[in-house]
Amino acid sequence: MASSAATAMLDDGSVVNKVFYNEAIVRKFVIAAIIWAIIAFCLGTYLASELAFPQLNIAPYFNFGRLRPAHPTAAVFGFGGNVLFATSFYIVQRTSRARLFGGRAWADFVFWAYQLQVANMCISYLLGFSKSQEYAEGEWHLDLWLAVIWLSYMTIFIGTLTRRKEPHIYVANWFFIAYMSMILILHVGRNLCIPISPFRAKSYSLFSGVQDAMIQWWYGHNVVGFFLTAGFLGIMYYFIPKAAGRPVYSYRLSIVHFWSLTFLYVWVGAHHLHWTALPDWTQTLGMAFSIMLWMPSWGGMINGIMTLSGAWDKLRTDPGLRFSVTAVAFYGMSTFEGPLMAVRDVNALSHYTDWTVGHVHSGALGWVMLVSFGALYYLIPALWRKPGMYSTKLMEWHYWLAMTGIMFYIFAMWIAGITQGLMWRAYDSHGFLQYSFVESVAAMHPYYVVRAIGGGLIVTGALMMAYNAFRTITTSDESILWAGRRTAGALAAGE
Amino acid sequence: MDSKKGDLIVGIVTGIFGLVGLILAAGAQDIEIYIFGLSLVGFAALFIFGLVKRFYDEKDVAHGVDGQGGH
Repeated sequence: MASSAATAMLDDGSVVNKVFYNEAIVRKFVIAAIIWAIIAFCLGTYLASELAFPQLNIAPYFNFGRLRPAHPTAAVFGFGGNVLFATSFYIVQRTSRARLFGGRAWADFVFWAYQLQVANMCISYLLGFSKSQEYAEGEWHLDLWLAVIWLSYMTIFIGTLTRRKEPHIYVANWFFIAYMSMILILHVGRNLCIPISPFRAKSYSLFSGVQDAMIQWWYGHNVVGFFLTAGFLGIMYYFIPKAAGRPVYSYRLSIVHFWSLTFLYVWVGAHHLHWTALPDWTQTLGMAFSIMLWMPSWGGMINGIMTLSGAWDKLRTDPGLRFSVTAVAFYGMSTFEGPLMAVRDVNALSHYTDWTVGHVHSGALGWVMLVSFGALYYLIPALWRKPGMYSTKLMEWHYWLAMTGIMFYIFAMWIAGITQGLMWRAYDSHGFLQYSFVESVAAMHPYYVVRAIGGGLIVTGALMMAYNAFRTITTSDESILWAGRRTAGALAAGE
Repeated sequence: MDSKKGDLIVGIVTGIFGLVGLILAAGAQDIEIYIFGLSLVGFAALFIFGLVKRFYDEKDVAHGVDGQGGH
């Protein structure tokens, strides 16, 4: 086993400590992230097609009801989770100048156990097993296995921080610590249950009625807040400055961003339960804290975008950076839309409609997916020691396909959602409902077709990225340099 | 933590998980627990095999064996 550090003498005679980072584990997570991205996007597109063309519901395993939880599992935990594992392990080693704590085997355990977990979750849902709790559908045995993985992951990450050579803990790591510790609390809290037998995949929650609903949305919204927001903000605070070659616009603002976001987010889950049996004061509390979230969200967005100051020209030549910066713009947009939808009167129109689905995807695709792609396009050449990605042109294509796909998706869902909301509340002159429910379902068909087309574009882009990544990893450095020169020549010629 | 000791602990703990998987699969009363139990066993077996292989690969490298002609 090689030592984790060695000394080297520089030309000027000074001695430096060289740290051997565990990059093998980051490479594994990067590859897994790409594979899960394709699976998740294919599942999503198929599900979108099922809604547009119900004949595609193939019983029992590919019914919408069974397939649907497999899609967010593959997307959030498969794709998003692997990106977070990869980037957090990469960033913590570099910003701490320390090799991962616990040795290679422990990190490998986290990797393989996590892949097993995501695969088992998807299989479990297709077999019809579910706790019917959004984002926490897995039965008790899967919850226990995830807790083991998560504790291992946290110990490795925090253990690495404790043996850092740098006196300061970089802000990206703060966001990662918040995401890890909060997810652990949420996961344990939401999944407190009693199995009916150690040999049966069936359990009952410790909570019932409106308390169960409250716990569910405390969990559900904070998975969005800490897994899909805080974790990916850690990515933003490291990879945008690195790709732009500029320091963070305001480090002080990033600290304010961190504390205000982590304090405010945990209160807002109740906005998922407006106009329900939840007490009014609790709903109002959720609404008020949601509106307060505008401040840290927009502060963070401004910090991310303004980091480009003095390096805006790089957006033209570096599609990877363009992915990241567009993601931050989407972060600003979807974190504006979220608090707006949390206002009780807006929620009366938007709740239970496809507007919510559109909002979730403007965050999931626009923010999480794009910032992930930006990080992956930075990491792939860095981890495999290549001068750049194999094809910048393919990155350009990927960017525009992803953007077009997102636009198709969210515009279709905005129109569909507002149409549904208005149809459901329309009364005639006698006070009767103007439309039956099935009429609102029929009215959705064209929007659902457009959404499925959007999904197809996102799948196509992801396949291009996978091909580009494969060629980058397997092609010699010289070929990549030549490909880069050809692309640069084409750009200069205005092609 | 010493890396070799860490690898050993991870290997032993993984073996225990494999054993738990075996017990779950043996007593399973539904397909889900059966699949989960078997997947834990398979995971543990492959993971420990990987650890053992890496241990001897590293030993070979340390002794200058090129991997072509055996020991």
